Amino acid sequence: MEPARAQTSAVAMIEIERVSQVFQTSARQDHLALSDISLMIEDGAFVSILGPSGCGKSTLLYIVGGFVPPTRGTAKMKGRAITGPGPDRGPVFQEFALFPWKSVLGNVMYGPRQQGMKYREAEAQSRALIEMVGLKGFEDFYPKELSGGMKQRVALARTLAYHPEVLLMDEPFGALDAHTRTRLQNDLLNIWERDRKTVLFVTHSVEEAVFLSDRVVMMTRSPGRIKQIIAIDLPRPRRRSQLLLDPRYQEFIVEIERMFDDSGENEFQP
Amino acid sequence: MMRRAAPILACLGLLAIWQLASLASENDSFPTALEAIRAIPAILGDKDSLVNFGASLRRMAIGFGIAVAVSIPLGLMMGRSRMVASFFNPLLMVIYPVPKAALMPIIMLWLGVGDIAKTLVIFLGVSLPVIYHSFEGAKAVEEKMLWSGAAMGLSAARRMVSIVLPAALPEILTGCRTGLVLALITMITSEMIARQSGAGNILFNALDMGQYDTVFAMIIIVGAMGIGLDALFEKMRARLVRWSEPQLDVPLSFS
Repeated sequence: MEPARAQTSAVAMIEIERVSQVFQTSARQDHLALSDISLMIEDGAFVSILGPSGCGKSTLLYIVGGFVPPTRGTAKMKGRAITGPGPDRGPVFQEFALFPWKSVLGNVMYGPRQQGMKYREAEAQSRALIEMVGLKGFEDFYPKELSGGMKQRVALARTLAYHPEVLLMDEPFGALDAHTRTRLQNDLLNIWERDRKTVLFVTHSVEEAVFLSDRVVMMTRSPGRIKQIIAIDLPRPRRRSQLLLDPRYQEFIVEIERMFDDSGENEFQP
Repeated sequence: MMRRAAPILACLGLLAIWQLASLASENDSFPTALEAIRAIPAILGDKDSLVNFGASLRRMAIGFGIAVAVSIPLGLMMGRSRMVASFFNPLLMVIYPVPKAALMPIIMLWLGVGDIAKTLVIFLGVSLPVIYHSFEGAKAVEEKMLWSGAAMGLSAARRMVSIVLPAALPEILTGCRTGLVLALITMITSEMIARQSGAGNILFNALDMGQYDTVFAMIIIVGAMGIGLDALFEKMRARLVRWSEPQLDVPLSFS
């Protein structure tokens, strides 16, 4: 079984080719947010983009999502240039962005219904997803009645519901407290282990990036460039309790933090 | 208990002050509260005046309905498109501070004193707050919410109807509530200027003929209509936006 996986994982899911992004901050001033980024993400990989705030890492994710067109360069999905958003790439945002007028079930069903799935089928599938993200019993709650962690669980279920091939996660746990964040990281890994979707995960937490990812793409502060790509070859499935005792896990974290320190760019939160 | 009784007590207090002030002033054109209240059944029992009320309410409903139907889409489009906003904003800025009743003489000149002119004034009065609140509501819709919809495959038009509209609904309904009160005000003022039929017509005819108890009775009736319509609308609004984050309660509420 293993060689087969190795073969399929060589297929490029996302290709970012020489992408630069310029924002006009005022009439005369341009701000170079991303400079000449090239990156390949193979099918089934969990890749984190790690960098200080303002390094353009979220912008890179928005470009892959098709929400923001790049100033220069191209982003491709399975060899085809990305020209706009599509259900093959499912975003999960730090702000949750749930539909507040829909119940938990309504939110999760929204995508499948949009794509023409029958109500019964969409409902059954959505109820299963809601259970999978640990929210059984909250199907009829409105977003305003949920905590931040629960909202993000709903957002994840809502995105998984329309079966995107790639998950685009934009600092999804950034607005949560440390305890909730840890629990969601564990649960995300458990869910991911089941079908190993391709994930592009933006974060500013070194520990989070190392814990979750196959590869960590380190970025420099503005203009955002790729500083280094580090393969995190820790065994899977990963359990936090085991990793915390694993010296290699600690070494990865120390190594990455030192690299940011060296360039005076360490502004990470623990 | 106290909360429910408070508005009633306030009304009774107002009537008491009115009664005393009227008795003290001994002015023929200032009937007492009791005299005004006694005149109400006569008005409501009269077939002619009921026809007039019906005509008023019909114009108000039509003016309000068309205004809402036009203003919500326009406001939402302004809120989501900078081009549409920069086209309509200056126009609305000019119209906004003009009292809509002040346009009445010109409108009468063009359209006569009939239903169309009066309905148009009501339409103008209702439109602006509804456009403004729809505009603000649409502007405030979270970009990421629209992106989430786009990722699900919703077209721009579908996002407008299925995301922008419901997301902006609390703000839109706030505008509609203001619009409803303005509809009542413009309804009466339009009938005051173009006298022909309607509740305003009864009021000002009575004034001309010196029937001051009828005048004040009409003021009470129109006021009660305003309170009733507002309370009804507020009930509906609260039902429609149950899902919305708790907001500061609107202080002027009779529900």
